[in-house]
Amino acid sequence: MLRLTVKSFLAHKVRFLLTAVAVILGVAFMSGTMVLSDTLKRTFDDLFANVFEGTDAYVRSTNVIDTPFGESRGRIPRSALATVEGVPGVEAASPDIQFFAQPVGDDGKAIGGQGPPSLGFNWTDSPELNTFRIVAGHPPRRDGEIVIDKGSADDGHIEVGDRITVLTQQAPKRYLVAGIARFGDADSPGGATITMFTTAEAARISGAGDELDGISVAAEPGVTQEEIRTRVARALPRHGFEVITGRDLTEENQNQVEEGLSFFNRALLIFAGVALLVGCFVIFNSFSIVVAQRSREMALLRAIGATGRQVTRSVLGESALVGLVASTIGLGAGVLLALALKSLLAAFGIDLPAAGVVVTTGTVVSALVVGTVVTVVSAVFPARRAAKVPPVAMMRAVAVEKPTRFRRRSVIGAGLILVGAALLAFGLFTDVDNRIAYVGVGALAVFFGVAVLGPILVRPASRILGAPMARFSGISGVLARENALRSPRRTAATSAALMIGVALVGFITIFAASTKDSIAVALKEAMRADFVIQPKGAFGGGPQTGFSPELAHDVAALPEVRTATGIRIGVADVDGSGQFLLALDPRRSDAVFDLDVKSGDFAALSPDGIAVSEKVADDHGWRVGSPIRLRTPERGTRTVRVEAVFGRGQQAGFTDYMISLAGFERSFANQLDAQVYILLAPGVSNEAGRRAIEKVVEAYPNAELKNQAEFRRSQEAQINQLVNLVYALLALAVIVALIGIANTLALSIHERTRELGLLRAVGMSRRQLRSSIRWESVIIALFGTALGLAVGIMFGWAVVRALRDQGITQFAIPPAQIVVIVVVAALAGVAAAHFPARRAAKLDVLQAVSSE
Amino acid sequence: MNPAVTTEATAVSSRAVDVTKIFGEGDNAVRALDRVSVEFASGEFTGIMGPSGSGKSTLLHCLAGLDRITSGQVFLGDVEISACNEKRLTLIRRDRIGFVFQAYNLVPTLTALENITLPLALAGRKPEKGWLDTIVDTMGLRDRLSHRPSELSGGQQQRVAVARALVSRPAVIFADEPTGNLDSRSGAEILGFMRRAVDDLGQTVVMVTHDPGAAGQSDRVVFLGDGRIVDEMRSPTPDAILDRMKQLSE
Ligand SMILES: Nc1ncnc2c1ncn2[C@@H]1O[C@H](COP(=O)(O)OP(=O)(O)OP(=O)(O)O)[C@@H](O)[C@H]1O
Ligand SMILES: [Mg+2]
Repeated sequence: MLRLTVKSFLAHKVRFLLTAVAVILGVAFMSGTMVLSDTLKRTFDDLFANVFEGTDAYVRSTNVIDTPFGESRGRIPRSALATVEGVPGVEAASPDIQFFAQPVGDDGKAIGGQGPPSLGFNWTDSPELNTFRIVAGHPPRRDGEIVIDKGSADDGHIEVGDRITVLTQQAPKRYLVAGIARFGDADSPGGATITMFTTAEAARISGAGDELDGISVAAEPGVTQEEIRTRVARALPRHGFEVITGRDLTEENQNQVEEGLSFFNRALLIFAGVALLVGCFVIFNSFSIVVAQRSREMALLRAIGATGRQVTRSVLGESALVGLVASTIGLGAGVLLALALKSLLAAFGIDLPAAGVVVTTGTVVSALVVGTVVTVVSAVFPARRAAKVPPVAMMRAVAVEKPTRFRRRSVIGAGLILVGAALLAFGLFTDVDNRIAYVGVGALAVFFGVAVLGPILVRPASRILGAPMARFSGISGVLARENALRSPRRTAATSAALMIGVALVGFITIFAASTKDSIAVALKEAMRADFVIQPKGAFGGGPQTGFSPELAHDVAALPEVRTATGIRIGVADVDGSGQFLLALDPRRSDAVFDLDVKSGDFAALSPDGIAVSEKVADDHGWRVGSPIRLRTPERGTRTVRVEAVFGRGQQAGFTDYMISLAGFERSFANQLDAQVYILLAPGVSNEAGRRAIEKVVEAYPNAELKNQAEFRRSQEAQINQLVNLVYALLALAVIVALIGIANTLALSIHERTRELGLLRAVGMSRRQLRSSIRWESVIIALFGTALGLAVGIMFGWAVVRALRDQGITQFAIPPAQIVVIVVVAALAGVAAAHFPARRAAKLDVLQAVSSE
Repeated sequence: MNPAVTTEATAVSSRAVDVTKIFGEGDNAVRALDRVSVEFASGEFTGIMGPSGSGKSTLLHCLAGLDRITSGQVFLGDVEISACNEKRLTLIRRDRIGFVFQAYNLVPTLTALENITLPLALAGRKPEKGWLDTIVDTMGLRDRLSHRPSELSGGQQQRVAVARALVSRPAVIFADEPTGNLDSRSGAEILGFMRRAVDDLGQTVVMVTHDPGAAGQSDRVVFLGDGRIVDEMRSPTPDAILDRMKQLSE
């Protein structure tokens, strides 16, 4: 039987290659993601190993707030430096200060800020502890001098001796570029923008004063990392200090990056999984059609004595061969994809020094196993059906599809949908662990349920969709409709593949529209400010960016402005859970926001007070005067009192916890305004106000002034960017589905050769034949789209409902985008039919008529 | 015979002039038709006979514009179809020629009526009510019109095929062993219908057949042998045909 399997595979090479494409694409995406993330991981592992190469121990504060949104750590007193230096075995100890700093290039534009962070360091004098090497000029000797990384210097066309502005949390200041440095072998560490100051200047800018972020320690030769760590720790006070070895520090940093990467990895793998799921439908369908077409061959095998089992195994063997070949090709394509993405990242300034890509055994094994298993599993049903072909089928002319078992299908399909919906609801609306898993399995069950119902729905759907075609395209349309109806199972399975992609596209579209509507409503209700100053660039320029509080101060001083307040954002531990804390000037907040204060005096919010939203107050039973345990990096754990309760919490697209700017200054190390909200003085026109404010903003090249409408649009633009990314990732699943349509059409046309010949013989033109096949494809595509949109709308509604407490208050189905999806699907149907239609039209009439 | 038909019979509807058809090249070349010249008069029912492989189907295909000829000319009325491009040929087949194959004549997804009117639908034309009714009644298909081919007997299917061939009032209908797959009763029925199409409806029919009885229904029989016209017979009887066939195969 094995020989037969291989022979049959080789005989149908082309047909199988088409099927294989469905697997190849999914596996390529999957292995590409894995290779890329392994490569990035290796790159960052090397980077950190390099950075901390000379560091034997590191001293830092024990006070760290570790939340799902990030980590922030307190500072240590500078006095510890002298203590550490005095420890026997310490060769060098260097203070560490880190903060936001962004240099401005010679074109007046801020350098970087488009992903990798912009950071300020103090220049480290000890060569063992400094990974930067000066390539031009010299280290900063005076407080007015800086060194910047070569990558940023090249970007901004900056040379030694230039005077440039650097943006920090202090007022913008000009510095003399004393030197340019490379980071090990790279121009910059992973594309980050690094500005280095004297330690005194760094302390002044960061507001650290007589505190440090940490102390790097190099041990004398012969002293191990563990030993120096123990000695340093013993010399320091027991409380507040933590000493770790250089190796641990390296590992910690590597792990942090790995965590971030694995998030990104998992997100991409989900899309690869979707593509593979769609691939399953395509494979299932291809094998079903092939088995049906070869039923005579199967019957012959049975007639000469093959058991049903042997027939099944032969089909499964074929699928395994297809799967193995396809996943091998997919793996190769994945490696190429990773290489391409790597150079793309490099083009975006994310410098990845390591040459080549990392292909681990794990990647190879999982690509081959997943690809093969997916193919074989998808072929199980068709293979079992092949075994059921009775030997007498040999005598029958054509395989006829068994009539759909209406009852059974509707029960199973509806059952799956109900179970899926229940799981979905369970995952979305309850607080169980692993909510994502429930949602995922629920969605899967819904997809399969709809796919099972498909064949029942084909008839009415084709009638409706085919009606206008029959009307306007005459006989071509009629034939298209009838052919789509001909084998409901085939049409349904083909459409189901597309349904999955469209459902997710529809869901994302609805979710984004609902989010945008919710933002618009929230802004309309809560925002009184005329203008907002925002960081420039994608996603607001990244997390570590912002403006000096000087900006808000200067803007507030303008006569055209009645009030301006910056807001700052930090993460803190509130009553045992990590939360965002939003800080603003309580006396000014009322002018720029309508917080809908319910109780307490928000304007009088003290540095030791906190304001909470009504929602969390209700959840926790807090009232004005209630004590809350708050842990912040600089102040550690303390008890604060609720001083106000406001109505517009996260539920209304705002925030649940607010403190005063004064409170923020005492709680967090870095003081950057994330945004500045401005209300104009009475009688000042928008234009006059803008002109006056722009003058101040000019000094901050990383800032952008927006009025309410522009601000809303920029929020929408951020959502759009994210949505477009998701669309791009879903495109693969849709492409696989379209290949499935093309494949089904090609196989069906092969089956209908004689009929096509007849049509041509009685006078159907090539053009009419092509248009008939195109219409058939459009019916399949639109059927899949209709199913997908129905499922997508349901998903969208469920998720929007579930996120109501997170500020998604509106549910919106954007009609224009839905129309676009439908039109694009129809066009995609036309495109998928291109090659099959061309092949059909090229058939030789006589040969077709007389074909078996 | 009806005098009106006799006058029409003087016009030639389909004509082959020196037609040669060679399949394949070099050593594998098969000369299926060898300088065949033949005419088919309007309003006449012609049978084509000959041993298997003698080129009957090939001749029919060439006359119907389904296949290209190697040399010579093929005319339909005044139009030289051997000089037409594929697009023209398709239109000629649709509007001027009817074709009945031995089997698989119908589109399985369409009803009997839709199959009958298929050439008109392809042309985007509406059927003439009177003509369609005449055909349907002549073929005895009135109560079968909404059925799909799979719901029709073999004889009914061939009747639908003949009706389809008639619907566009073609200049000529070509039939390649239309009764080959039928039992003798259904076969006789089909032959009767074709005879009536010629006699009552004034159509022209050219039919390939192996059955002397079937050929006996025709006005004239043309004998092919080895790609050449070897003989012909007017107003044939089955016995005379059988005799001639025996001679030919000797
Ligand atoms: N497509 C083709 N390629 C090569 N040779 C062909 C082709 N079609 C027909 N022939 C050859 O041409 C000759 C005539 O074939 P044709 O089909 O016209 O015979 P026929 O008289 O219709 O026979 P039958 O009574 O068996 O149907 C035969 O020798 C046949 O083998
Ligand atoms: Mg023949």
